Amino acid sequence: MAGSIEEVKKAKKLYLFIGTLLFVFTVVTVMVATIEWLDFGEHGFDGVDATIGLCIAAFKASLVMLIFMHLNNERPMIYFFYILGIVMAFFCMWLIGLSKSDPIEYGNESYSDGFYDPSKPATDVHGN
Amino acid sequence: MEIPFIVNARKDTGLFNSKVGIWLFLASEVTLFGGLFSGYLFLRLYADYPWPERALPVLPGLINTFVLIGSSITVVFAWAALKMREWRKFQIYMAITLLSAGLFMVLKGIEYNAKFGHQAVRLQGGGPVQDSAIVEGHLHYAELNDEGLMVEVDEDRKKEDGVFKANHVLIKASEFTFVLTRPTHEAYVKEILDQAGDRSKISLAEPYRVIDKDELNAGQMNRDQLSNTELARIAEKGSELSIDLLDKLEDAFLEARSHDRKIRTEFLAASWDWVRNVKGEEEAATFIVEKEIWKDRRAEDAEKLKILSLRAASEVTFKVDPPLTLVLKPGDLVKKVNVGDLSAKLRDDTLVSGEVLPSPMIMGVDALDFRTTAQRAEAEGLDPVPVIEETWLLNHKAHHGSHDDHGETEGADHRNEFKKIWDCHMAWLKAETERLEKKGRVPTLNDKYRVNWDQILAYQALDYDVEKVYEQGKSRTLERNGLFDLDGFAGANHKIHKGKFPHLEIPRANIGFEATFTPKWNTYYAIYFTITGLHGLHVIGGALVLGYYLFFGRKMYDSNPEWLANRVEVGGLFWHFVDLVWIFLFPILYLM
Repeated sequence: MAGSIEEVKKAKKLYLFIGTLLFVFTVVTVMVATIEWLDFGEHGFDGVDATIGLCIAAFKASLVMLIFMHLNNERPMIYFFYILGIVMAFFCMWLIGLSKSDPIEYGNESYSDGFYDPSKPATDVHGN
Repeated sequence: MEIPFIVNARKDTGLFNSKVGIWLFLASEVTLFGGLFSGYLFLRLYADYPWPERALPVLPGLINTFVLIGSSITVVFAWAALKMREWRKFQIYMAITLLSAGLFMVLKGIEYNAKFGHQAVRLQGGGPVQDSAIVEGHLHYAELNDEGLMVEVDEDRKKEDGVFKANHVLIKASEFTFVLTRPTHEAYVKEILDQAGDRSKISLAEPYRVIDKDELNAGQMNRDQLSNTELARIAEKGSELSIDLLDKLEDAFLEARSHDRKIRTEFLAASWDWVRNVKGEEEAATFIVEKEIWKDRRAEDAEKLKILSLRAASEVTFKVDPPLTLVLKPGDLVKKVNVGDLSAKLRDDTLVSGEVLPSPMIMGVDALDFRTTAQRAEAEGLDPVPVIEETWLLNHKAHHGSHDDHGETEGADHRNEFKKIWDCHMAWLKAETERLEKKGRVPTLNDKYRVNWDQILAYQALDYDVEKVYEQGKSRTLERNGLFDLDGFAGANHKIHKGKFPHLEIPRANIGFEATFTPKWNTYYAIYFTITGLHGLHVIGGALVLGYYLFFGRKMYDSNPEWLANRVEVGGLFWHFVDLVWIFLFPILYLM
């Protein structure tokens, strides 16, 4: 991270460059979403568009984290905190994923795909 | 006491205090927003309705993205200015950051406001999929005429007394039955009294009696005899409705109930003593199970309780004379009502007896959405287009005030305006399908079954001429709203295009579900408001912290500029995080 005045002066140019990149990639994201000849995959929104959009967003987010938040030159403890946050976020996703295969209702016909379906017969926890 | 490591870093960690603190906080924030993004993913993947893809106008979101990125640059420049001991530049950069935060919130406010004022209705009717067509638009306004019937009024009069949104329900009320123990009845009573004014008298239908318990205990009379005494009377027949009266009746009811509970307990205790005396302590418990002997004893008790208990009514009925036309918000009612229903229940369980009057929902329609109809038809193995063409929307006869031609001349076009729009849309879709086929592509569900506001206006501009729409669709010259057209900045603009959007009166029976574009409408808007609302709070919180440094940081700058620089760096880290969240929110909510 920039400490001395010279380093800070140098860093300002980098910040401007990164800011410009962020603007440009925002425009690219909108173009990919709205201009037909940049519409990859099927016509309209689909998985390919989602992947492209999220990749650009992830790239922009990386620039903000590495340069503006100085993660390109940070102490090990900060990386630990940061990775902890990311791990916890994925833990939340896993928790929500449990609703798809709920171990408590496992074996119950009416919940066989993870969701209650009144048209299927209700069974006990052993599937009887 | 001097706090260590607020300016210089600790040797072992290489960090100063606030940096450790902010990163721990940001880690928890990553988890928080991670959970919400997971929620979004879950709701979207398992939605049982067509997900509103690109439902939000892109321009405000795009400007807000630029604003936040710009403010990320200025906040880091403000920190750099402090490092270089340039106070003036720090002030300028920080002020720009705060202005950006303000602009962001203003744009968000405009966007939210547009959603709060935008109405959606899922229609219901017959057919294999119960209609399920959705119309979106802007509610019109109405008032009661001298006969107590609903008439539409111009929107300019919306702030006048007696003018209401044309989604309200009209009930000719002749009786109200209040449940005394509902603490929420105050607001409804006030509303009812306001609407009644001097026109109707609302008075107690029967005297409300609770037997005075001292009287009861003293005498040998039975309950019926006692109830005729003056002491038992709490309110006379004909007493006028007021919040105070209901409170008084509620107190009497609660006192009576408390008395009843007490004597029931006493009788139970006495019965228990009796059992113990008859059967002895040890066998008493099993004796209670032997129902035959116990039953006789309980029957005796019940007879005595009949005389001694107060049993006050928990509900009171008020008559309305003459009957009053009550205007209620749809949300005031426990469930949907139809014209001719003889009663309706308010959310505090108050029963309004009378008759539900014709009170159609009147709106200017800016989008037709048949995706749910199509989805359900396909699930039934049916071709969606004929099912759509059978829907009420495309077949109803237009009511007064519509743009439709009512002429009965020979060869007159009997289609309603929505059928004309749909026919044009089919022509446009044909042209679009042909165009896409050449590229080996197919139209999306949105293309096929949703007609947006700009399409409605484009078809209208061509006088609903199917041929022209097809030709212009083919040559791609059909005039539609572009990304940068300001008349669609926050969606369909009913002020700019006043009177152009088709007029629709939806009878009560055809309203399946209605809401503004709020969390009530669907899970998309629930998660949209949750995430963007929380993000907006972060913007406000960040701006308050950065504003503190700008307006109150001078003293610290003079005494210890490096300390202030560290603080601004930490505040800036939070601000970058706010930007980071938006970098994901923008494509996810606005573009996908």
